[in-house]
Amino acid sequence: MKTIVRSFVVVLALTGAIATTAIPAASAKTSVSAVKTSAMPQPRCPLNSPDGCGMNQW
Amino acid sequence: MRLVSGNLVRLLGYTEVFLCIVGLGLLVARKQWRDYSWLGTFLGIRAGSSLLLIGIHQIVSPLFGARAAYNYYACVYWATAAIESVVTLMIVYSVFKLAMAPLKGLQTLGMLVFKWAAGISVAVALGNAFTPNSAGSYLLTAISQLQRTQSILTLCLLLFVTFAIRPMGLSYSSRIFGVGLGLGIMSTTDLVQSAWTAYHQSINSTYNLIFGVVSCSIFMLWNVYFALPEPKRRIIVLPTTSPFLRWNQISQALGDEPGFVAVGGVPPEVFAPAELEIMRRASAKMPAAAGFPMPKVTDFPASAKRAASSAI
Repeated sequence: MKTIVRSFVVVLALTGAIATTAIPAASAKTSVSAVKTSAMPQPRCPLNSPDGCGMNQW
Repeated sequence: MRLVSGNLVRLLGYTEVFLCIVGLGLLVARKQWRDYSWLGTFLGIRAGSSLLLIGIHQIVSPLFGARAAYNYYACVYWATAAIESVVTLMIVYSVFKLAMAPLKGLQTLGMLVFKWAAGISVAVALGNAFTPNSAGSYLLTAISQLQRTQSILTLCLLLFVTFAIRPMGLSYSSRIFGVGLGLGIMSTTDLVQSAWTAYHQSINSTYNLIFGVVSCSIFMLWNVYFALPEPKRRIIVLPTTSPFLRWNQISQALGDEPGFVAVGGVPPEVFAPAELEIMRRASAKMPAAAGFPMPKVTDFPASAKRAASSAI
């Protein structure tokens, strides 16, 4: 149990670390990178997007 | 497929609001509000923001069009993301404080370090936001930076709680660990999502389902931890050679009010007659130290010659 929990936590931390290294490259492609883990969809376009960033499609 | 996905996203949104309200209820019912008030605040903000976002999608979009609805939606989303980021920092702070409660010295030292780390994180986030590259989106850049630093701090806390769980008298069934684990999953997902965002430039994405399921799972995890009775904290037994014990003692000593020692330039008049008499007798018995002449009895004035008032 202890090993499983510890391994899971280490995997979480490593995933976070790897993702952190990929963020600068991703940020260069878009002006919107503010996120939160939520059930509500994340807005991925700048304000005043022509079709409302596909707002009516979900 | 898109219709099913949309319905599922809405369903997950409602589920999230429901789980947040249940979590708030459990915090109050279990009388845990005092210890986990910041977690309660987070749940309240999340429930409110999700309700508001659902309202914008369901009501504003048909009335004012997708473009206006998206603008409102994005503003509410980013504003609440910033508030939640700050509240998450406070949750991490309170969880650390609770976890370290038995080791007061380390708690004080850790909280001091945490305050500095959090302060530097906020300063770096604001500093990065006001660079020429972030033209026009200062606030968004600041929020993104703050989230990243907060996520890294949260993961550091989770690693610490996981690997130092025994010296703190906790177990994996403790609520402190449960809250830390939920925050850790959330932080990792935030970081992954930040890296992912650039490649999916639409609000309508199947990945919303994945992140929605993760979000609901985190709230479910917290609810389970608060619904089940918490095991009592074990008696902490540490070996005398434990670094935790040693550092705790050092940290406790660091916070003490210092004593003061007169090292020179002290005229005999400042001493009371009784003190002078004691020193005179002690010096009479003192052996001569190497290199220093032994003080003579006559170095100290006899107490009988001085009144107490003149000594003061």
